[in-house]
Amino acid sequence: MIRNLLCMTAPMREGFDIPCHEIGPLSPYPAAALVAGLHGDEINGVFILSRLADFLNGVEAGNYPELRLVKPVLIIPAVNVLGVNLRTRTWPFDKSDINRMFPGSTTGETTQRIAYAVLEATKHAAHRIDIHTASVDFEEIPQVRLHGPSAAERDSAGWFGLTAVMERSLSPVFTTTLMSSWKAWVGDSFVLRVGQAGTVQLGHCQRVFRALVSFLGRAGILEGVQMGSEDEDTCYFDKASAFRVFAEKAGTFVSDRQVGSWVMAGQELGYIYDSFSGNIIENVVAPVAGLLTGIRRHPLLFEGDLILRINRKP
Amino acid sequence: MSVQPTMQTETFFTIDMPYRERMELRRTRFSGGNGPRVAVLAGIHGDELEGLYVCHRLAAWFEELVRTTPEALCGTVELYPALNTLGLDTLTRGLPVFDTDLNRAFPGSAEGPLPKRLADAIMTALTGAALVVDIHASNIYLREIPQVRINQEFRELLVPIARQMNLDMIWLHSASTVLETTVAHSLNSNGTPCLVVEMGVGMRITPEYCDQLVFGILKTWQAIGVLAADVALPETDHAPLIADDDNVHYLNAQTSGLFVATASHWTDVHQGELLGTIVSPFSGAVLSEVRSPTDGILFTLREYPLVYEGSLMARVMARTGGPA
Repeated sequence: MIRNLLCMTAPMREGFDIPCHEIGPLSPYPAAALVAGLHGDEINGVFILSRLADFLNGVEAGNYPELRLVKPVLIIPAVNVLGVNLRTRTWPFDKSDINRMFPGSTTGETTQRIAYAVLEATKHAAHRIDIHTASVDFEEIPQVRLHGPSAAERDSAGWFGLTAVMERSLSPVFTTTLMSSWKAWVGDSFVLRVGQAGTVQLGHCQRVFRALVSFLGRAGILEGVQMGSEDEDTCYFDKASAFRVFAEKAGTFVSDRQVGSWVMAGQELGYIYDSFSGNIIENVVAPVAGLLTGIRRHPLLFEGDLILRINRKP
Repeated sequence: MSVQPTMQTETFFTIDMPYRERMELRRTRFSGGNGPRVAVLAGIHGDELEGLYVCHRLAAWFEELVRTTPEALCGTVELYPALNTLGLDTLTRGLPVFDTDLNRAFPGSAEGPLPKRLADAIMTALTGAALVVDIHASNIYLREIPQVRINQEFRELLVPIARQMNLDMIWLHSASTVLETTVAHSLNSNGTPCLVVEMGVGMRITPEYCDQLVFGILKTWQAIGVLAADVALPETDHAPLIADDDNVHYLNAQTSGLFVATASHWTDVHQGELLGTIVSPFSGAVLSEVRSPTDGILFTLREYPLVYEGSLMARVMARTGGPA
């Protein structure tokens, strides 16, 4: 079933809404709530959740006889609908970041009203997942992000079967995010970060799609899920395991390395060229052995920009 | 022996950009005796220009002072008119390329994304100052009267200083976590007093507001010993009203359309008085009437007419404080 979380007027267009999928048995609250597209340029998440809705609707229609959806699932593929259509990260009218507007309000600014509607629809779910990407400049390995997690969240983070689980402390910067507002409510909350903004990266999307199906299976929401044997072991990385390489010189960065590969200390991972003369001015090498969890994708570098991140195996 | 005052414009942060150019942050410094060091910040948002004009007016005043009565400068004055240089040069509120609000990156860090490194450099430059004034110009949507905004956490220290600033309102607001990442909160948290001034509207300058603030800044600096006590200063005659979460009323749009104000900014209004209407450009219909919820002062008024449902159109403050 498709429901509108919120219907609002617009100055010159038709009114707009934020539609969601409600799939599975009727219940006052969903067992799992999945959200993407709080930022309009993070298309991987929008694609993954629209495909997941199609899959679960197929389960409900009997297209997968071995599977049964036994608890309800709420899916919001895109919160920032206008941002997706106009390819902007923020709310296009006033450039505010919807993921800095939580818990929101019914009487405040437009984006606060949107935030409120999203939180109300999702906060009672036992399992809550918010999908993001890195920026358009950077690519992240598909990963689970935990912010000040409970022991239960640490355990169930493994249900996704993704290679990397990144743990971070709670920071004031995140206090007005959806994740932070979720934490006031009983249940598990996860952020998934998948690739880079501005594009659909099919490999990453397929991996995270499988991860979500795995999670729903292990959470007892989707019965009959058989997980493939190709999934890798999950590594839990804390902040201290991360080694970042910053550009010592400005210029043009070029690399053909892929995130998710294991690298050796001293291995050459890319080059920085002088953007005017074309000379190589820096060889970028791995400072430690570990998993390449993030790499710069926009070639143009300011001095000091982050080029890559390697996490040492725990 | 007296110290000969100096004036110089200097670069305090610089990095290479991808293709040959360099980005620099600059300040102008007037140094006199060994008295307190004070600073004025502007342009942290690239679409806010009021503070740039304040810096110009202060620079002109101190150039004249140094030329005519150099012994009257007892401390050091630093002017930072363009903290978001690239944003100002390209008419962008945030930091270009990084699509980030620079005033949400504090206190910053020596490594990491450029906004955090800029914040770190700004913090390093300002920490230890006797007083910092961070000037904002609302945004392109709303016009504000000259005011100081103070987090309740720092009211004891800052309100007495703010009262000398020749502004029309002191707004005490409750601690909001997002503001913890501003330059003002970061400075106040590390013991460097910082006042946030809001006035005017984005992308414009309001010279009378700027002069009003300049006179208040000079008076405040004289009180803390940056200027000699016998220096003649322009008259200041503005006393602030006091606003807080209890006496400020927000008027958010009930529907989308074109907001047309009927009341004037910075005037007294009465409960039920029509402040404006939201109309449809497609027809002659008035979609919504905007009326004052209370007797008070219309201290915020929308400048940019298009509104979405929820857009802020005005704020009205029930009168508290001010002139006796």
